[in-house]
Amino acid sequence: MKTMWGEMSAEMDKQKKLTTQLITKMTQANYRGKVNNILMPETAGALVSFASFVYIALNFEKLNSLHLFICGIVAAAIMLVLPLLSLRAVFKMRSVNIGSNNFKQAIQQYAAGKKQFVFVQKLTFYLGALLLVAILPVMSKIMGNVDAFKTNSLWLMYAVMFIFFLFFAKWVYRSYAKSVNDAENLLKELSEES
Amino acid sequence: MNNTAEFIEVIQQNESLIYKVTKVYTNTKEDAQDLYQEIVYQLCKSFGSFRGDAKISTWMYRIALNTAIAHLNKQKKRLPQTPVSDWLAENIVAPDAPVDERSETLFALVKQLNDIEKGIVLLYLEGKTYAEIALITGFTVTNVGTRLDRIKQKIRSQINLKK
Repeated sequence: MKTMWGEMSAEMDKQKKLTTQLITKMTQANYRGKVNNILMPETAGALVSFASFVYIALNFEKLNSLHLFICGIVAAAIMLVLPLLSLRAVFKMRSVNIGSNNFKQAIQQYAAGKKQFVFVQKLTFYLGALLLVAILPVMSKIMGNVDAFKTNSLWLMYAVMFIFFLFFAKWVYRSYAKSVNDAENLLKELSEES
Repeated sequence: MNNTAEFIEVIQQNESLIYKVTKVYTNTKEDAQDLYQEIVYQLCKSFGSFRGDAKISTWMYRIALNTAIAHLNKQKKRLPQTPVSDWLAENIVAPDAPVDERSETLFALVKQLNDIEKGIVLLYLEGKTYAEIALITGFTVTNVGTRLDRIKQKIRSQINLKK
């Protein structure tokens, strides 16, 4: 296998393809891509959440019953905490120190970051479900001046949402369990010394 | 050692090194392109701090492998992986098969390993000594030996499975 690999490498070395322009372009294009990659999805999500938080806060006096008040507090708190948790986890996962780490340290950082990221994703899912429950009556009151708790449609919506929640919760558990397991296996293997 | 011309020359001389790391750690063409570019970018970023107290290839492998690990987070949804035995069944090559075909077989064998093993076996196949592998990876020399023995057994059993 080693001999075959050597032959393949020798063959590859003959086929030089990279030009000066291409290398220069790669470093520049990559820089732009990197900035966008980090800034776009997470920051957009955080901005939307923060804007919603401000909107609820500005209209808080309209939530004039205990139920609505509690829902308003829960929704505002989730919208403030959720993007912060998510951004923190993303940055931590991406903070593998490429320049000064060795391979073992890079894998340790990656696996630990991955575990935390998956935990936050799961938390985000459950908090998101709770947010949906809390925000429906809040928005209904603020935007339409209707106390949804006094209507039948809210309970019907909750019932439908609950069925969807059960279905997705099962799916979330399955898909994240594998990711956590992979990360844990990597960490376990790293700790093995001969 | 930090001028652009020198950096470009180093990359051109070692482009197959980047290609091989990329190939081992990605499953789609799109991811491979992203990772290749990211490695060049990271090498460029760290080039100024390379002091020449290690071989240039040792430094490049360290940066390239670390970048590949960091990139695992950014990969698009992975395509379902074909078990390597199935892959071998379809692609098993004769001794006189073209290098391209054989190289695909080699990469498929390496890609079945986990992310730690991939890095170690790649360095081994690239002709690095146990001491050099230990330097790049941060494992002890003895641990590198143990891991390589295990990897060889794994690969051997995959090949025997096919035979």
